[in-house]
Amino acid sequence: MKPEELRAAQEDISVHGARAGDFVRLGDTNLVIRVEKDDREFGSEFQMGFGKSARDGMGLKSVNTSQSCDLVITNVLLIDAIAGIKVTSIGIRDGRISAIGRPGNPDTMNNIDVVVGSGTLVIPGEGLIVTAGGIDTHVHALSPRVCDAALSSGVTTIIAQEFGPFWGVGVSSAWALKHGFEMFSAWPINVGILGRASSSTKPPLQEALSAGICGLKIHEDTGAHPRTIDTALSFAEEHDIAVALHTDGLNEMVDINGTLSAIAGRAVHAFHVEGCGGGHAPNVLQLAGRDHILASSTNPTLAYGINAADEHLAMIISAHGMNADLPSDVALAKNRVRNATMAAENRLHDLGVIPVTSSDALGMGRADDTWRKTFAMASMFSDRAILDGTVAPAEVQISNERVLRHIAKITINPALVHGLAGEVGSVQVGLVADLALWRYSDFASKPQLVIKSGIPAWGVVGDPGATVKDAQPLLIGPQFGAYGATAADLGINFINKSASNLSARRKNVAVANTRSVRSSQMINHGVLGEVEISAKGDVVTFNGELVSSEPLKNSSLTRLYLI
Amino acid sequence: MELTPSEQDRLLLFSAGQLAKSRLERGLKLNKPEAVAIISNAVIEAARDGASHSEAITAGLSALKNEDLLPGVSAMLNGIAVEAVFNDGRRLVVINFKSTDSDYPGKVTRLTPFPVIEKDSTKIKVKNESNLPISVTSHMHFMEVNPKLRFKRELAYGMRLNIPSGTHIDFPPNVIVDVELIPIEGDRVVIGFAGIVDGNLDTPDGLSKALEKLKHFGYLTGEPS
Repeated sequence: MKPEELRAAQEDISVHGARAGDFVRLGDTNLVIRVEKDDREFGSEFQMGFGKSARDGMGLKSVNTSQSCDLVITNVLLIDAIAGIKVTSIGIRDGRISAIGRPGNPDTMNNIDVVVGSGTLVIPGEGLIVTAGGIDTHVHALSPRVCDAALSSGVTTIIAQEFGPFWGVGVSSAWALKHGFEMFSAWPINVGILGRASSSTKPPLQEALSAGICGLKIHEDTGAHPRTIDTALSFAEEHDIAVALHTDGLNEMVDINGTLSAIAGRAVHAFHVEGCGGGHAPNVLQLAGRDHILASSTNPTLAYGINAADEHLAMIISAHGMNADLPSDVALAKNRVRNATMAAENRLHDLGVIPVTSSDALGMGRADDTWRKTFAMASMFSDRAILDGTVAPAEVQISNERVLRHIAKITINPALVHGLAGEVGSVQVGLVADLALWRYSDFASKPQLVIKSGIPAWGVVGDPGATVKDAQPLLIGPQFGAYGATAADLGINFINKSASNLSARRKNVAVANTRSVRSSQMINHGVLGEVEISAKGDVVTFNGELVSSEPLKNSSLTRLYLI
Repeated sequence: MELTPSEQDRLLLFSAGQLAKSRLERGLKLNKPEAVAIISNAVIEAARDGASHSEAITAGLSALKNEDLLPGVSAMLNGIAVEAVFNDGRRLVVINFKSTDSDYPGKVTRLTPFPVIEKDSTKIKVKNESNLPISVTSHMHFMEVNPKLRFKRELAYGMRLNIPSGTHIDFPPNVIVDVELIPIEGDRVVIGFAGIVDGNLDTPDGLSKALEKLKHFGYLTGEPS
């Protein structure tokens, strides 16, 4: 090879992916990030393949995986709420992240962090983005296919409220829960199940606790009265479990202030805090910005669009056992749909006030849309960086901070809210290797590969009889980790410390630190303040300032990608 | 019909292709899955018509024009792989659609050039005295390369080529090639390869022992001429 060819190979983006200082546009969004760091040594990169450096004695050290790792994802662009944005490599041993940094053989290469053994499996990550697997804390598992949809979007942990087409909004029956955990073992996905907390006394909650729930759900459709709120929260305080709250949209017994009195400063996860999904009309959004209220949004109101309000009327009637022919039902539904609170909710996300996004899958949200909607929303507040050379590289307006804020909403923050952060939510040494790999062009819209506990479990597969793995039609579906007994091995059941007589088919891990968690601790968020809403629900302020946003005509990550 | 899983997958391509075609006929510009389906079907149908492999590539490339696509889509159509049934059997076809988009999803922009890292190197001459081409890659312990390469092996102890990772230098038969060598880094332990060192490089008798082994096994050494 001639010197200029060698130099070109060294700089080639299609070979090595982005490098430190490079600007990368995420999908078709307005978000342009700058790569902060590259853990590789320029010119001495660990590379897999014919004539490359990852061969025995060169990049590979001839040691067992106990001294190296089982799997390494090489030279991949990491986007993580805590670790930031950098090119690095991730070593995985026994299903957990064992090392992060420069990969290779310390015998022949300087400053190796991830020792790659002669037996280590390799996933080349050049040209790909890696993130923690998504965590969706609001899933109505009314159909088993919701798990397929979640995995196909890069979600690896769900907090479910049912496991079948019945009214659950939390399951408390020990008999049903036993079967529920067994059913979920068919998928390589972590699952926690919420018990139904719409109960004025504790015995039903105790039944659910013993059977392995990870938290409680209070829902207005089964009762969100002050007594049920207090019962659930005092029970939760005794047992270290989270409480998810869908407040009383009728203001039947109390208004939002009465609900706040019942909560009495205890930590609670306020579901779909904008209110379209349900809750005190018209001002449930006033729950956001308070330290003990962990507020989340569901995805249909995110990346607030021109058709959002019209869609929700039909959705509410369909999802909540109402009838479009009954004028009183239609009137109730209309009370829940407010453009002003949707417009404000999106802005409050950007300001760092609302820390979590979720789906409300099959119960007024889309299981496979949370990554897409979270980043489409991040994009709507961004202007495209000018990269034509007229602006000096150091002066380019980049979206790193906004991207790290938004990725926290679907990874680490939901993990913290539900007490899962000891296992999942971030790309850190010691955590479970639940990862999603994305092309730069498809980021947050369609993942290439979902890795569950270190095993390729879901992702793009092609024509099964072809000579190569990537022949059309490329479909997103199960990988080997979704088959046989492995699916059960890879998934975790998130339970509570007091559960007993649980199935041993999957690993059971108790949630922790759910009662001390506060909004001010939310990663890349934590902005507190007073949200106020006019009596008509048409004006929203935050600390006295109007908060709003313009509805999108065109959402990013959508039209270019979905058939 | 006894359709195999592969054949059933082709039907998905056909459905997607028909859908995309009807959208194109309504005057819409196509997105990524729509465009991939139309291009893949064009290849498959060309093969069914009896086309050759190169004719099927032409059919795939000419199935769509850039103006048929939404902005940014053409850049996402690189390396579309599809298997079609040709008259001589099933064959893999890869279509690299020519993009005209200057801005596209996932674009990487590099405004800062890379610093060239200069390392102290040793220059040597190497001659391939065999009748076959030999290529040597960046991270090979150069002292232990093919016995038919003649060079001063003592200068290559603990050294590798000073070229970017993953690249190589070709040594055609009977040609003298100038190369630069740089020291192997890290803990400087060379294990494996031809077994000439198999241990720490920086020991008092490491070089002399390695040279003895090379001589024993008949490696060509010395300045080529």
